[in-house]
Amino acid sequence: MRRWAIKIYTRTGDRGKTSLFSGERVSKADKRLEACGDVDELNAVLGALGASLCEEDPNVAREIQEIQSTLFRVGACLATTPGSLLTDSLKAIDDEQVKSLEAAIDRMDALLLPLAGFILPAGHAAATWAHIARTVCRRAERHAVSLLGEAEGDKLSAAQGQILVYINRLSDYLFVLSRYCNRIMGVQEIPWKK
Amino acid sequence: MSGPFQETGNAGLYKTQLLSRRWTTEEAFEIRFSRPPLFHFSPGQRVRFMQNEAERDYSPVSSPKDETIDFLVKSVKGGPFSSALASAREGDSFHFTGPHGYFRFYPSERLPVFVATGTGIAPFASMAKTGVINFVLLHGVRRSLDLYNESLFRKTAALYVPCLSALSDPREGAPGAFAGRVTGYLEEGLTPGAYDFYLCGRGDMIRDVILLVDQEFPDSLVYAETFY
Repeated sequence: MRRWAIKIYTRTGDRGKTSLFSGERVSKADKRLEACGDVDELNAVLGALGASLCEEDPNVAREIQEIQSTLFRVGACLATTPGSLLTDSLKAIDDEQVKSLEAAIDRMDALLLPLAGFILPAGHAAATWAHIARTVCRRAERHAVSLLGEAEGDKLSAAQGQILVYINRLSDYLFVLSRYCNRIMGVQEIPWKK
Repeated sequence: MSGPFQETGNAGLYKTQLLSRRWTTEEAFEIRFSRPPLFHFSPGQRVRFMQNEAERDYSPVSSPKDETIDFLVKSVKGGPFSSALASAREGDSFHFTGPHGYFRFYPSERLPVFVATGTGIAPFASMAKTGVINFVLLHGVRRSLDLYNESLFRKTAALYVPCLSALSDPREGAPGAFAGRVTGYLEEGLTPGAYDFYLCGRGDMIRDVILLVDQEFPDSLVYAETFY
């Protein structure tokens, strides 16, 4: 089908600036872009994680794809200045999506041995992708907190307020998922040795 | 279509019928369709026509309050969609999805500056017909014959500047015309300051204007819709 394609290069960013969804032109080194970049990086790592799981657990691979789609909403929230006229256009992350992560955490955790101490971020390749995703997710969270924390509370849209909850829960999900990956791949967890 | 933002209106698939077609120049025509009863849009948004394995986006030029939905189409040689629209008969059915996009008017304290090239004037026609007034409009076309809805914009704009690229003497063109491209007028004619820029047209115009905004009009906002 012939599509109305999006052109890849616009050349509008050749001098180091780019546009936010809310219309401002900002430096690509702006911290809003840092946060967006983290979410983008997280999404790409999740792609690798999903690819490494699609044969062993296609259901979890699909779950990861849903998370990847939700991360576009997170990116959109971060690319919109709080209080701007376009915040009403943001699609909120609803409670159901957070609950869905919590349900997945509980589902996987029920199959795991209780944690007796710290474990190394290691094991099967899929588990290590999950650990990498978790650390990128935590970085995204730190930048999002820094960014949204500066905005006065009443300027934050519901969508923007909810993304911190979602990112925090996603980090927990990725930690449990890393353990779950080692479990289904039959790889022993490596405890931290003092 | 679902994206990271709220779609306004009731995005869906609609069937419509061609009611009439009027050639505005030898290269462009205004085409009128029946408006599906449940279809709503905000001025500036697009719909996506689908026909014979092809898709093409167009922005209505009509107001959301109108009983019909009208488009301005540039006839592109070999273009599958504009050719189909140019040769279709009254009563022919078409399908479209929409509304799509976030290119809408966002009122603010800054002066809105609309910049269009060619049929990129469409979203601004819809906005003006819906009550948006007191904007600056630069419409880049080759000759004054290519201007669209000139009388509407002369009534609604605070400043309407046809930018005629094939004109060497402005006195030969439309009143208040600028001989040159929209970027030329921005460099020479627009007072430095912060504005809300709304850009609609080809990618090279969008790029050139954005780079000018970065340089000459910092602290402005830019909303852009690119035609490819």
